[in-house]
Amino acid sequence: MALPTKVLPGFSASLYAQPGANPTPLTTANLSVYASVSAIAVSAQLVPVEAIPSFGQDDAVANFSVAGSRQSDKIPVQSAPTSMTVVAAWNPSDTNLLLLRADAYNGTIDRTFVISATDGTNIVNYAFNGRVSQWTVDPAPGAEAKVTFTIHPRGNQYGWSNNA
Amino acid sequence: MGQNSAVTYAQAIQTQLTSVCTPTPVYAVFNRNFATEPTFVVWQLRDVHQPVYTGPQSVKGIDTPVFQASVFAQQMANCFSKAQQIVDALHGYQGTFGALFFVAKVDVDWLFHTYDNDNKLHQIVLDCTLDIPS
Repeated sequence: MALPTKVLPGFSASLYAQPGANPTPLTTANLSVYASVSAIAVSAQLVPVEAIPSFGQDDAVANFSVAGSRQSDKIPVQSAPTSMTVVAAWNPSDTNLLLLRADAYNGTIDRTFVISATDGTNIVNYAFNGRVSQWTVDPAPGAEAKVTFTIHPRGNQYGWSNNA
Repeated sequence: MGQNSAVTYAQAIQTQLTSVCTPTPVYAVFNRNFATEPTFVVWQLRDVHQPVYTGPQSVKGIDTPVFQASVFAQQMANCFSKAQQIVDALHGYQGTFGALFFVAKVDVDWLFHTYDNDNKLHQIVLDCTLDIPS
């Protein structure tokens, strides 16, 4: 098996969170190791979110003006992994949502998260270490109650892997 | 948040409506044979749908199905009073529905009143939306 070789629908992605109130996040090297990451991407650790938001790496650039040159120069600089604002249907007793709620309260717990996308056979994982910040519950009547939380990834702590 | 059962919905609607409308008979879907009765209520279920979210099949949201209750009566006054009885009992209702599951709210929308000249029956149509935690 290898990387999925299809264009994937957004529905194919799932979010998983490392278990435990005080987890030891994966090392940066292991974030790119499929065996380490897939141990987190199991059904008991599924975070039941509505949709996976944009993830990856932000843009950052330095703009230099060079005297005598008509064109300036844009140099990519160290850019942060993308923060993810996630919406989930609010189940007040969901184990994994409770973990993330406690993380948001604490503010300094590093946890490994995995976004796993599959074409039914092959799997590609994006794993990162992050901290949960925002935690808001929207209980508007006449609709499903939603919880919105934001995961801020730690810099230089993400990796890609697949089941090749 | 798994899949709810529409079979359970149907059983609960029949039970709850029967309880609310007693002694008026309650049936699922209209049948011309009922037209000889002075007052009766029929219902039909629609819009059963839990939103699906990303990931595995089990990840779903809440269902807000609608059952349409139609009150039929030979006398207009009976038709209105029976429909009002349903509104009084169910609009804003929170609790156990049909002794089978919890509803967070029932929202009753009185749609219209009409008259069937062939069957000589007044009809009032009520749309009842159930908010069911899953």
